[in-house]
Amino acid sequence: MFVLEFILFLFLISIFAGVFGSIVGLGGGVVIIPVLTILLGVDIHFAIGASIVAIIGTSSGAASTYVTDKVTNLRVGMFLELASTTGAIIGAAVAAYTNSAALELIFGGILLVTLVPTVMKIGEDIPKSPELKGLSKRLGLTGSYVETNGSLVKYNAEKPAEGLAGTWVAGILSGLLGIGGGAFKVLSMDLAMKLPMKVSTTTSNFMIGVTAAASAGIYFARGDVDPLIVAPVALGILIGASLGARILLRSRNATIRKVFAIVLAVAALEMVLSALGVSV
Amino acid sequence: MNLKDPESMNAIIGKVLRYGVILSAVVVIVGTIGLAVSQGTSEASSLLNYNASSIPHDGIDVSLSGLLSGLASFSPFSWIELGIVVLIATPVSRVLISVFLFAAEKDRIYVLITAVVLALLLFSMLVTPSIPGFHA
Repeated sequence: MFVLEFILFLFLISIFAGVFGSIVGLGGGVVIIPVLTILLGVDIHFAIGASIVAIIGTSSGAASTYVTDKVTNLRVGMFLELASTTGAIIGAAVAAYTNSAALELIFGGILLVTLVPTVMKIGEDIPKSPELKGLSKRLGLTGSYVETNGSLVKYNAEKPAEGLAGTWVAGILSGLLGIGGGAFKVLSMDLAMKLPMKVSTTTSNFMIGVTAAASAGIYFARGDVDPLIVAPVALGILIGASLGARILLRSRNATIRKVFAIVLAVAALEMVLSALGVSV
Repeated sequence: MNLKDPESMNAIIGKVLRYGVILSAVVVIVGTIGLAVSQGTSEASSLLNYNASSIPHDGIDVSLSGLLSGLASFSPFSWIELGIVVLIATPVSRVLISVFLFAAEKDRIYVLITAVVLALLLFSMLVTPSIPGFHA
């Protein structure tokens, strides 16, 4: 394959990855990693380096729209970033002493289990919002956004401590494997904090850039960020993320949950298969 | 723009992210065009043939001086790298500016939260890569 073909192919795939990544709040790595390793035969180190760049690109590219349109909850995001960055540092510190196949099996398994409550909530459009009290009240974990039909949806966050714990696990996973953190962030906000699906995926999208940036230094220093691979990935992802952000704003929560459930299943299977030695 | 107005906080953070992304994309495009013109018809695999087991991988220069001299000599790879550095710096700038925005709102809890996140982020990006045990 010529350099030009390689760039063009990765660019187009990355647009697709950016659209999905920005809607479900996982970043584009779920698509980018298997394309690079399986289709293009690129070493997993460079694939993860490209995934880190893809996550930061999806996050910033879509967040500029989500934040301006006030779907992302800035306070929830900043509060949970305390846990995700701490987790990312701990994960990176112990990564050298862990077995990545075992980790992928465990976390992939957990993600498969979380499919059950995610699928059971399919059909829920606007969650019944709990009363604002305790830590959530103290931290102002409340907000509102305009739904596609023009109505103002007000919501309050529940169980901030559980959300923080789940996000901590997400951060550890990002630090350990460079992938998979976004899913745990969305699940923490969706299942524990009971935020509307759009708020969960866009606030995860807002946070994943910071978690990925935290570990970017390590990947850069190792030489995992290969310019030939990351250039078309970054450009495609940025275009895809801005398209995805527009699609999300026009979609209902129930639709986004369905797409999230599918991407969650794919991400979980990817991790489990990779752990079992199928080259993903 | 009134800094005390929570509405403008969203607008400012949105703008920081948008400008960071546009600047990064422009620099990456410059490098990519350079790459396509100079080596577009080479075999991609010949450029991807690094030794993955050595760190940093043979053939990849990760030093600051290497980046600067590459930029000066218009090496496409160095321009792409610069664009990626801008991309990585974008969420960091967003956290930094949030500290000041929360300070303008006189929201002490969130000034503290974002300042701690910024400190953790800078520690992780700048300090941990030089600690040997952190090489995964």
